[in-house]
Amino acid sequence: MDIDLFVQNFADQFDDTDPDEIKAETAFHDLDEYSSLIALSIIAMVDEEYDVQLKGDDMRAAVTVEDLFNIVQSKIA
Amino acid sequence: MLTIPRVAVRGMAACVPRFTEETRDIEFYATPEEAAKVEETTGVVRKHIVKDSGVTGVDLCIRAAERLLDDLGWERESIDLIVNVTQTSDYINHPNVFIAHERLGLKKECMSLDIYHGCPGWVVGMMSASSLLSHGAMHRCLLLDGDNISSIQWKMDHESRPLFGDCGTATALEYDDNACPLFFDTGTNSEDGKALIHEPGGYRNPYTLESLRQELDLRSGKLAPEESGMDGMSVFSFGISVPPKSIKRLCEAHNLDLADIDKLVLHQANLFMVQKIAKKLKVEEQRVPISLGEYGNVTSATIPLTIVSQCADEYRTKSMKTVACGFGTGLSWATVYMETTGLIIPDVIIY
Repeated sequence: MDIDLFVQNFADQFDDTDPDEIKAETAFHDLDEYSSLIALSIIAMVDEEYDVQLKGDDMRAAVTVEDLFNIVQSKIA
Repeated sequence: MLTIPRVAVRGMAACVPRFTEETRDIEFYATPEEAAKVEETTGVVRKHIVKDSGVTGVDLCIRAAERLLDDLGWERESIDLIVNVTQTSDYINHPNVFIAHERLGLKKECMSLDIYHGCPGWVVGMMSASSLLSHGAMHRCLLLDGDNISSIQWKMDHESRPLFGDCGTATALEYDDNACPLFFDTGTNSEDGKALIHEPGGYRNPYTLESLRQELDLRSGKLAPEESGMDGMSVFSFGISVPPKSIKRLCEAHNLDLADIDKLVLHQANLFMVQKIAKKLKVEEQRVPISLGEYGNVTSATIPLTIVSQCADEYRTKSMKTVACGFGTGLSWATVYMETTGLIIPDVIIY
């Protein structure tokens, strides 16, 4: 799994946030645009791109984009 | 996976309470834009709710069943089996099926079965009822399915309040040597079940004075919940991943091509989820009826309500191949493939 591609897929779920603002170390819950709907879009992206079923607790536990990447990776392995 | 021969679906009816709640009128939205955004994502413009009328899910089911029996021309004495699916029983200790049996005036020899189930419930009920009928000893069945889920809702819960409406339905099934077989796929992810659980007030955690007061305050809206009563993200994740796999598995097992299906009727969880599932299965929206706009998510009754309210004319006049899938509570899912011809379907009844 490629972290850069994951970050890009993650950033694609936002409409108004500058993609450059979203990096592996970004604490995504603090982004202005982050909402429950964006969270659902991220869950759907992870399902489509990685065939991984995230849970609400996974989304809540992850602080940075990289944290979420690690959770997804652990579910693939 | 289960194949049930010799059982035909003959008709369906749905009944909703007359009161409606518009999404835009929900008091916790700060601006009309916020309400519009919720409307767009959930697809729910309004839903019918029992409000404080005293009407319950079983009242709605009975009204639907009475009309359906009349339209079918079925004598009450001809019903050998009644199955009721609900999670809002009128009483703690008297399953709704007995209330329905009594009020419909069914005969003493009629078997009564109550199934406690949430969103997959209609398909689970179809599976149970048709399985019993297929032996040939019982010929006619009424499957009732409905809830008054709005009555036990937390008024200030932002996740559930805009979504859930009330409805009661009746489906008529009959033993028939020439019926096309019904195909089912069902399963259970119980380890994720806590995503849709309500603990206080049951026999494990009976109400204390304090927890009862809190529950009543949550229901009246005096108290806002710290977090939603459901884990919407987990349910969403389950909903977009597991049901499409179940539908594909069912089709593969029986050499069915989704391109040949007339309708894919999905549990109306919310618009975002229904559209995601349909897109994943590559079924265009014309074949995926949606009833969320007028009725919201009516839990296990969504599948029959969607057929009755959105495509009754087609089901009345044509032979239809349908794949329907319910999912949620459990977490669990149930998918059915059925072929029907000339169903008897009264228009949606307003109670």
